Amino acid sequence: MGLVSFEFAALLTVLLLVYYLLPVRHRWRVLLVGSYLFYLANSAGMTVFLLVTTVTTFCAGRRLGRINEETRNYLAASQGKGARKEYKQSQQRRKRRVVLAAVLCNIGLLVALKYTGFLFESANALLQAIGIGGRLPDIGWLLPLGISFYTLQAVGYVIDIYRGKYEPDQNLAQYMLFVSFFPQMIQGPISRHDQLAHQLYEGHVFDYRRVTTGAQLVLWGLIKKFVLAERLAVVANGVFDNYLNYAGLSMLIGAAVYGVQVYADFSGGMDLVGGIAQLFGIEITENFARPYFARSLEEFWRRWHITLGAWMRDYVFYPVSLSKTFARLGKRTKTYFGAQTGKRIPTFLAMFLTFLLVGVWHGAEWKYVAYGIWNASIISSSILLQPVYGRLADACHIKRESPLWRLICMVRTFCLVSLGRFFARGTSLHAALVMLKSAFTVWNPEVLTNGTFLFPIGLLLQDWLVILFMVLLLLAVGLWQERGICLREVIAGQRLPVRWAVYVAGVLLLVLFGMYGPDYEAASFVYQQF
Amino acid sequence: MEIREEIMEILQELRSDVDFEREQALIDDSVLDSFDIVSLVGELNDHFDIEINVEELLPENFNSVEAMVRLIQKIQEEE
Repeated sequence: MGLVSFEFAALLTVLLLVYYLLPVRHRWRVLLVGSYLFYLANSAGMTVFLLVTTVTTFCAGRRLGRINEETRNYLAASQGKGARKEYKQSQQRRKRRVVLAAVLCNIGLLVALKYTGFLFESANALLQAIGIGGRLPDIGWLLPLGISFYTLQAVGYVIDIYRGKYEPDQNLAQYMLFVSFFPQMIQGPISRHDQLAHQLYEGHVFDYRRVTTGAQLVLWGLIKKFVLAERLAVVANGVFDNYLNYAGLSMLIGAAVYGVQVYADFSGGMDLVGGIAQLFGIEITENFARPYFARSLEEFWRRWHITLGAWMRDYVFYPVSLSKTFARLGKRTKTYFGAQTGKRIPTFLAMFLTFLLVGVWHGAEWKYVAYGIWNASIISSSILLQPVYGRLADACHIKRESPLWRLICMVRTFCLVSLGRFFARGTSLHAALVMLKSAFTVWNPEVLTNGTFLFPIGLLLQDWLVILFMVLLLLAVGLWQERGICLREVIAGQRLPVRWAVYVAGVLLLVLFGMYGPDYEAASFVYQQF
Repeated sequence: MEIREEIMEILQELRSDVDFEREQALIDDSVLDSFDIVSLVGELNDHFDIEINVEELLPENFNSVEAMVRLIQKIQEEE
């Protein structure tokens, strides 16, 4: 049962009716039942893994909460500075043991289920390469639905309690809802407990305005997915799945098209998730902030899949780069490489580790390792070269806030992101490298004019016109949003006929130009596979 | 030298393009990014001989110079 299916629409309708009919204090129970029904319908045999994560992180949270409380009580009563310090350190050690056990158990489960096959396969290749006999078994375990998302969400909760950011949940059933909330189970976002949990538990009264804006968001998400992403998928799949049939510019176009496809697909999916949550009165964390308006790759990663980036920043990058080990390393590198370069080396190492994890979070394949390295390399080199770029811009009398320069930076970032897409979407690391080589060694601009690329791939002229229209529409919406204009509020402020004209136009756009139907099998959301 | 002035010196060296006297939302408005934060924490730790823990990396502790002064005073008192 995907988010776009008749079964899901039926479940959602029933849940909405029951949710708003029950007394407010019981409404969270409807969400819990709905979430587990959704999970059982999709991944029944794997529910045990969801429960293991839920129970272990709940218990760890409670334990950490008790230690935090003991510490607070002791510190409030105790006066001696030395005794207080000693007590705090001993409590910190206890907390560290609990958080370590919870993190290892859950990340270990994720690694075992998601990466054992990859690790065994790589070990076999290594054994073969160095001529040692023996072979580890091939493992192709099925993954529990949403494990990459709910594991990070639950582990983030435990770490936040460890850090004393908020109090732990006391109600297991409510916490089960926080981990399993059904709209975000398929492709995130990775929510934080202090932003989401209270919204889930408190129940919401029916608010016509919020429900209609939720429905608008659902419609907008469906338009992005079915009118744009599905069309672009025909092109991207055509090039990436048959890369030996293409060369040169076709590869670059394929990568750029995939970049737009995955944005329309993933952000469309997020709109769908956010819209469904709003139907219940719940606001979900934003996962996108117009990433293609970013002027650097580093800014791109602050605008793209925001919740994953923020998770990696808060729970990997900061703890690693501020750890005592890295502080000592920084002192050593300053001695060898000078103050300026030396102090940056530990930060860059932490960033490489973070992007490596971002890469392999997407999947257990070498291409994702390369994807992580690509991003970390570009970002670290651009930071190192920033003074050079600055001097160059000054020498060329370029005003860095001028619209033209901003546009150039955006295009440059899009190109860098698109090159990284070869690794993310290529069928393997080898395929990605072959495609990259062809992209930069074969010059064939004629594919744009002689029709050998645009039409044989499976799209008609009208499809390309629809794509053009949608890209311009996304661009216009993005520009409004960049200026702080909320389009849905603008629409809501219009007179009734205008509002309904917009809604009808949206529905017609989806119905008439969406790629769906009995003879057409829409692809799953791209991020569902992660 | 006052703590505030010392922090201002570190901040100016880190990001000379930012008006730290006026900015009140350095983190919330993404004026400082994660690389700046890590560099800043390293400099503050070295300069004031303190240890800013990762749990203290909250927007409210780094949104303004005043917030940083309060954080450093709090850590100095605790240590």
